[in-house]
Amino acid sequence: MNPLELTLGIMTAVGGFVDISELVFAAKAGSQFGYALIWAFAFSTIGIIVFSEMSGRVALAAKQPVFNLMRHRLGLKLGLVTLAASIIANLITCAAELGGVALILNYLTGAAYVAMAITMTVVFIASIWVLPFKWIERIYGLLGLFMIVFAVSLVAIHPPWDKIAGGLIPQVPPGLSTKELLTFAYFTVAIVSAVMFPYEVYFYSSGGIEEGWSAKDLLTNRITAIVGMGLGSLLAIAILANSAQLFGHAGVDPEIPGSAALEAAIPFGKWGLVIALFGMFFAVAGAAVETCLANAYSIAQFFGWIWGRHKKPWEAPRFTITWIVLFVAALAIVLTGVDVMMLVEFAILFSILVLPFTYLPLLLLAGDKQYMGQYANGPVAKTLGWLYFAVITVAALAALPLFLLTSGGNG
Amino acid sequence: MLRRTWFLLLLAGCTSSGPEADLQYIKQARSLGAEWAMVNQQAAEGKLTGAYVASMHRWLRDGLQTSEQSLSQPDSPYGNEIRALLASGDDASPDRLNAHVSKLKQIEDQLESA
Repeated sequence: MNPLELTLGIMTAVGGFVDISELVFAAKAGSQFGYALIWAFAFSTIGIIVFSEMSGRVALAAKQPVFNLMRHRLGLKLGLVTLAASIIANLITCAAELGGVALILNYLTGAAYVAMAITMTVVFIASIWVLPFKWIERIYGLLGLFMIVFAVSLVAIHPPWDKIAGGLIPQVPPGLSTKELLTFAYFTVAIVSAVMFPYEVYFYSSGGIEEGWSAKDLLTNRITAIVGMGLGSLLAIAILANSAQLFGHAGVDPEIPGSAALEAAIPFGKWGLVIALFGMFFAVAGAAVETCLANAYSIAQFFGWIWGRHKKPWEAPRFTITWIVLFVAALAIVLTGVDVMMLVEFAILFSILVLPFTYLPLLLLAGDKQYMGQYANGPVAKTLGWLYFAVITVAALAALPLFLLTSGGNG
Repeated sequence: MLRRTWFLLLLAGCTSSGPEADLQYIKQARSLGAEWAMVNQQAAEGKLTGAYVASMHRWLRDGLQTSEQSLSQPDSPYGNEIRALLASGDDASPDRLNAHVSKLKQIEDQLESA
């Protein structure tokens, strides 16, 4: 285990943890319910750690990416349905991230939103074409570390740490009306979905294969998943806690993604604002690249095409065309003028519906000793895996009714 | 049974009107107004860049316009307050913006307790 590689891997995971949905829902959750939803972030972070570690282990032991397994385990028909649902969920997520990046550039420079969306699509395509996989992941992930300004801001505003710690205990705030209870439930489901987005697992497992992981990378995989995602989650919690402290009392329920940047501007002024916007830009840009590649990986793996960024673009032509077309499709969605916040809502909704179908085949294969040998799930991974599978299944069933009953969390 | 439940849920979402149905847009407008006041407060203290302030003003105004256009009863006290917010200049004082926000909050509280 190379310590430098491990450190870079962890830092990349930290910087790449937060995306547009977490940014939006953390800020909204904090302003509406104070610290009462911190546990939802902590709880779902353990879930994404469990499944990422599992998918990384499957990648290094069985050399199987997630969508290969899905086709074999779910059969062609159900596999195709899952693939179609995943493509829609990932495409909407990618459009939300692309719109988010254009918005953040608009806050930073004042340049027109549409022009920024078009420019960034070209930049993303060029960066994926030119950069090796490891550097695609690292550039966006490491520069996303500017997001640490949100944690520093939290320390600077002297929040009630005891209440923040209390937020780690699963709870429902007392005295909520029925409507507020439903909104609280919707936010809980949305946070689970935002943290456990299916694209993260597709990207993580495919990335493991891209980087040629083998059994010697077992510990690296485990530490990167646990420490990197665990620390990354603290950034999302910091955004929530800042919002509870600064926005909640002022009656601000952040309605646009740029509001979160105010959290760093209030204690640190212009520099805080600019650093926060830079961090948000790279974190969301990284997520745009990941969602697009994850979608292309899924399609290529399902149909058995040659895939991977470790190959030259022309050596995997169908894979290359797929990710370019997906970026253009995401841009087309943004250019229709649909609101980024609405895209985030739909990304959350579609993703939670796909989650059980994503994680079930993974759970089955990771526990299969025939495939995995000595790397099969142990009792801890097995118990946690099935527990989280039950939770996401319930969340998937509840998501649409809650979305309709609460007008997408707007009460 | 399940089909009927879905149908009722969709129907509730599609056909409701009046102050109850407008509540979500009132909340949205109140929050946007409060955010606008916060942006202007921080800008006055020299904590924000010009590009950020101009951009936030545009998006906040867009959001308020959407809320106003979504109202089923635009000629209502809350409709008037939202329009008054929209009529304010970009650099309106935080106090002036917060006055409209307070009125929207009162209406929101009355509707929620009804």
